[in-house]
Amino acid sequence: MSFVLSLLIFLPIVGSPLVYLVTRLNKRWGISFSAAFAALILVISAYVFWEVFTNTPAIGHYALVENYSWVNFQFFGLNYLLGTDGLSSPLILVSALLTLLVVIGSRKLIDHHEPEYYALLFLFEGAIMGVFTSLNLILFYVFWEIVLVPMFFFIGVWGGPRRKYAAMKFIVFTFVGSTIMLLGFLYVYFGMHFASFNIPDLSGTIPTDLQYLPLLASFIGFGIKLPVVPFHTWLPDAHVEAPAPISVLLAGVLLKMGGYGFLRVSIGLFPTASFQYAWVFMLIGIVSMFYGAVVALLAKDMKRMIAFTSINHMGFVLFGAFATVVSGNLLGIQGAIFQMFTHALAVGCLFMLSGYIHHQAGTREIPLLKGMRITMPRTAAILVLASAAAMGLPPFSSFLAEFLVISAGISAYAVTAISVLVPVITAAYFLWMIKRVVLSSPEGAASVHDMTRSDVLSFAVYLIPLVLLIVFSFLILTPAQPVAQYLSSLARPP
Amino acid sequence: MIDLLTLSIVILAVCSLFLPLFQVLRKPTRNLPGYILAVVLAAVLLLLGDYSLAPQKSVWFGSLLASDQLGALFAIVTIGVTLLVTVASFNVIKSLNNPVYYSLLSFTALGMLLLAFSQDLLMLFVAWELMSLPTYVLAGFTKNARSNEASVKYAVIGAMSSAILLYAISLAYGITGSTLISTVVKGFAAQPNLLTGIAVLLFVAGFGFKMSIVPFHMWIPDAYEGAPTTVSTLLAAGTKKAGFIAAIRVLLALSTLYVITQNSIFSISNVLAVLALLTMTLGNVAALTQKSMTRLLAYSSIAQAGYILIGFVPFAYSPQSAAATLGMTGALVQIVSHAIMKGVAFLAAALVIFELKRGDLNAFSGLSKRMPITALTLSISLLSLAGVPPLAGFWGKLLLFLSVVNGPYGWLAVAGILNSALSIGYYGLVIKRMYMDEPETPGRAPEPFWYIVIFAVAVGLIVGIGIFPQPLINFASGSVPAIFPK
Repeated sequence: MSFVLSLLIFLPIVGSPLVYLVTRLNKRWGISFSAAFAALILVISAYVFWEVFTNTPAIGHYALVENYSWVNFQFFGLNYLLGTDGLSSPLILVSALLTLLVVIGSRKLIDHHEPEYYALLFLFEGAIMGVFTSLNLILFYVFWEIVLVPMFFFIGVWGGPRRKYAAMKFIVFTFVGSTIMLLGFLYVYFGMHFASFNIPDLSGTIPTDLQYLPLLASFIGFGIKLPVVPFHTWLPDAHVEAPAPISVLLAGVLLKMGGYGFLRVSIGLFPTASFQYAWVFMLIGIVSMFYGAVVALLAKDMKRMIAFTSINHMGFVLFGAFATVVSGNLLGIQGAIFQMFTHALAVGCLFMLSGYIHHQAGTREIPLLKGMRITMPRTAAILVLASAAAMGLPPFSSFLAEFLVISAGISAYAVTAISVLVPVITAAYFLWMIKRVVLSSPEGAASVHDMTRSDVLSFAVYLIPLVLLIVFSFLILTPAQPVAQYLSSLARPP
Repeated sequence: MIDLLTLSIVILAVCSLFLPLFQVLRKPTRNLPGYILAVVLAAVLLLLGDYSLAPQKSVWFGSLLASDQLGALFAIVTIGVTLLVTVASFNVIKSLNNPVYYSLLSFTALGMLLLAFSQDLLMLFVAWELMSLPTYVLAGFTKNARSNEASVKYAVIGAMSSAILLYAISLAYGITGSTLISTVVKGFAAQPNLLTGIAVLLFVAGFGFKMSIVPFHMWIPDAYEGAPTTVSTLLAAGTKKAGFIAAIRVLLALSTLYVITQNSIFSISNVLAVLALLTMTLGNVAALTQKSMTRLLAYSSIAQAGYILIGFVPFAYSPQSAAATLGMTGALVQIVSHAIMKGVAFLAAALVIFELKRGDLNAFSGLSKRMPITALTLSISLLSLAGVPPLAGFWGKLLLFLSVVNGPYGWLAVAGILNSALSIGYYGLVIKRMYMDEPETPGRAPEPFWYIVIFAVAVGLIVGIGIFPQPLINFASGSVPAIFPK
């Protein structure tokens, strides 16, 4: 039995107190140590990604499986069951990559309580890895909840002026969602006569009449996380108040938990009910896409604008996933997985950038930032490129992801072609923002400074994979294909 | 060879009787009585632990007391809590009367130990009083108006609950001609009529006062707030659990045979389900609005009693089902972990109140800067109380909600989950205060050595049970068969 996935989960968690001690001893050593540690975890997750790519598990199977008995009495049993496939391996890779970039980005943007900050960062990373690799519903739930705790402190301790309100709102919303989700899991387990909590054992075996209530419960849990309209109201507050590096994690990693949950649990375990109500999910997806785009158009705070872009982009994930359920066109799920990967990098880059802009110019208000091309040429260049990535402009691969999702949507219901308008609105508000912020002439002698060359390098790490992936898209799409086939075959039995 | 349990009882009794002699000596004894009691309790705990490794049936005093795994579980929990309270009192109880204080603690421990193994209603009542009477004095131990008011209130309500219990016992004796619990249970099953129904409800009320179940809860917040906080810890984590063992021994055993009202609306399971719903909802909603930490913990303790009651419902409904085993195991797991997490939360609050001389929630603002270890411990215990995995509080709730999620009491699981979600509101608010707000007065406050020891042990248990729940769940599920009457 392999132990790589356990390593991926417990190395960060066990290392977290170590990071605390080193950072407490000396701040600079601590940050270097954290970066090295995050790089090590990135190497392991790259190995996992490569392993899944080269030995893609067959349809309905998982790679690097670990299975131990965890709790067992009489008929009640829980397994410590881990595994990965083409759905989780890109998310594992991008989470590790973003954690490393966040450590690098935080050295300028986080200026108090550093030991606790870096320690919580690795606790968060370990829990995230647990969410993406757990194949037992209760284990999944355990990691799902651990993620909340560091995020609560991140927002509440290191956040902006309304941080306490945002932190409380975040924890109450997501905790309500996840407990309801847990109730759905328990309902299935009881209804199946205590058969199993393991996802591979359950998928395809749950009777149809047991699927509806748990699907609703999981929709509430994952929908709050993704988030979809109308459960999204915690997200703008959390994003605006969180420090920029944490916004990167929120958008890049935490929201993916929702998308992952929809694919792995909602469709994977409750396929028949999903098939019957797929149009509802697609509708909610489209509403989220349009809502996110339109509200972003009106936002004055740059971070708020990017936050609504996240709602917009995550709508694509929900839309694409259920487009495949309806039509059997595999591009929807493949596109959704691809979209999660590209969104993490593109929007992650924008959030980090918003932190730098705030740090350099003292404000994030779009109307107040003027003439950036003259005052901060390097920042302006990165902003233009990252915006292009976020609006899905070729050669950035976000274009490909949205293209795949929309084409799958059309094969499900032709009327959903209307979703083509979403990238148009997205392009509109990004271009308008660039016009106001970059292409205007500077006003007054505001004391601003530009980012250093090494900072530019760290931002390039977000953008280069996005360009490369349009050519090497098969790295993600090929392992994603068996997953899409499996989920589609569950929902639409031949 | 002497029975280990008999030995524990004798040691504790001797300790209770001889500790006040230090008072007679009238010499400054510092904490010596406390140290003696701690050593004695630790020894009893070891004996109990040794017994529960290989539990064997033994009967003493005719059939007044008998040992089983269920009793051992409760004895370990209550003695463990008393030990924690004793150690926590070293720094806090400095008055000259401390030999009396520790002697009263010892009497309470003895009462709880006897209660855990009682097989006869009269023995149960004697143990009940032995446990309760010292706590009335302890609640008023600090000689100020609030403490005295708490003591009087608690004593009056306690006397009333004892009276109700005694009345129920007398009815039981009248109906069945015996006070042996197993005979009473069979006798009740044989003649289901109005009188037995009244006796059952009187038992619910009598035990309900100690278990802090709505509508018998109203004394709890006042008593917990007014009493010295170490004593509140004993009430919340110790004597309350003793109320549960009594209820399990009598009420649940009764429900396994007393089936006649199962189909009616006043069946034992329906009564318990409604009480569970009321208790957890009222506890959680009231906790949201509290301004004082001890009152908040008191209401949270009421809410937790509601969760535990959920586990009784499927057992009372159909004792042989899988759900009943899950529910009872969940209830026992929750009782054990609740004793630990509520105990340590109260002790952390006790330390803050002792050091900062105030108990309102504002005292907890910025506590992470003033008393970092206390703040961390309190946070972990609150998260565990909210049921956040992988902490001890999660497993009890998981099993409890699982036991009712599907079937006639599905609404109870939904209510429980929503309550659990609601509770993060006030637990999160306290954590927010400790870590995100600024302290009103800056500067570190001391954190005594003994408290750090207690906190380390308790946090270790909370996290340890959370990650490896298997031993506790095994022990709890092994205790379930003892509930069925012989």
